[in-house]
Amino acid sequence: MFVHIERGSSIPISRQIAEQLRSQCLSGTLVAGEKLPSVRELAQQLAVNVNTVFRIYERLAAEGLIELRHGDGTYVSPRRTESRSELSAQRDKFSLEFDALIQRGVMLGFTDAELRALLTSALATARKSQQ
Amino acid sequence: MSDIAVSVQNLRKAFGSQVVLDDVSFEVPCGQTFALLGRNGVGKTTMIRALLGLLPCDSGVLRVAGCDPATDPIELRRRVGYLAEDQSMYDWMTATELCRFLEPFYPKWNSRLADQYLDRFEIPRQTRIERLSKGQTVKLGLAVALAHAPEVAILDDPALGLDPVSRKEFNRDLVEHLQAEGRTVIYSSHLLDEVEAVADVVAILDRGRIIRQGPTESLRAEIQRMVLPHEIVRRTSAPAGLLDARRHGENWEVIVDGAPRFLEELAASGHAAKATDMTLDDIFEACVIGRPQAWASA
Repeated sequence: MFVHIERGSSIPISRQIAEQLRSQCLSGTLVAGEKLPSVRELAQQLAVNVNTVFRIYERLAAEGLIELRHGDGTYVSPRRTESRSELSAQRDKFSLEFDALIQRGVMLGFTDAELRALLTSALATARKSQQ
Repeated sequence: MSDIAVSVQNLRKAFGSQVVLDDVSFEVPCGQTFALLGRNGVGKTTMIRALLGLLPCDSGVLRVAGCDPATDPIELRRRVGYLAEDQSMYDWMTATELCRFLEPFYPKWNSRLADQYLDRFEIPRQTRIERLSKGQTVKLGLAVALAHAPEVAILDDPALGLDPVSRKEFNRDLVEHLQAEGRTVIYSSHLLDEVEAVADVVAILDRGRIIRQGPTESLRAEIQRMVLPHEIVRRTSAPAGLLDARRHGENWEVIVDGAPRFLEELAASGHAAKATDMTLDDIFEACVIGRPQAWASA
């Protein structure tokens, strides 16, 4: 399971982790029934506070995305019919954020070519780290 | 046995005429990871030395793992694992010799545990400490601090001088061997971005006092930046938590501690403003060197 944390970002770390796990569950990257690392394992892996990870898992469980099976571990929940519209809502949100980001880039004086180059490079890095 | 691991009340320490700690108070419940933040030279090390009984204080009440550092420093050191920024290790000893040397000081020393940590951290046993890398020295320090199973661990800027990879490893070790084991951790740092991921609570020490304390998430939720038109600033009185105010032409960029409530008040009086998140670095900067004065003269 791959989670990338950007330290020093204005986005709180817990939100970064929660959003990535949420997206992965909704998009099927994390398969239904797949076992997630334990709270302790994930905290150690990411070098993140144990309580923070615990709260994230609780939140995702409350959203119905994962299930905490007592004594057994944490698993990705089976996909519900609502999750398709949730995924689409997440994607819409992403598009808005993308628009805002590009606007900011334009205001900062980036040329179209520069912005495209940034996109290409970011995409390459993201795909590479998925493997 | 109360569930407060460390308690500091009205601590004051001056060196001659220079007051370094002035009425410092905080509490750390058992099992919490508490990060003391502040600029270099602000008094973090002084604070930590006071907690360990290495430094007498002018006034105040301290309790660490149930002990008073002024009257009970030996017992305190038995219950607390200490990792100093600049630990004068016995450079000529090997790791094995160091463990053998330390064992008699600690009734709860567990040599099997010490061995496990040394293996885990891959510390060469027979190499003199002066030949170890900085990263290995810190790990050795952590291993011996953990080997007597302390309830409380006090770390003074433990990642200082470590490269980013070693720092990440250290954070992992902190999470796995201290936090996940339910130990109380107090550590000082000047690297906020590192601290955010690991700490439960941060406290900012500045000019002798704790100026802001709380879980990192609530700090981020409360301290936010917003842009307001000059007209609004002119006719609104400055919020109590104003940390910084700068004018740029017809707009002001302000940072407010208590942003959500202030936004509600503005909305109630007819102005809808939006706040943006800040990095922890920026939050720290606003708390410590923010300038709110300009608002008053708007």
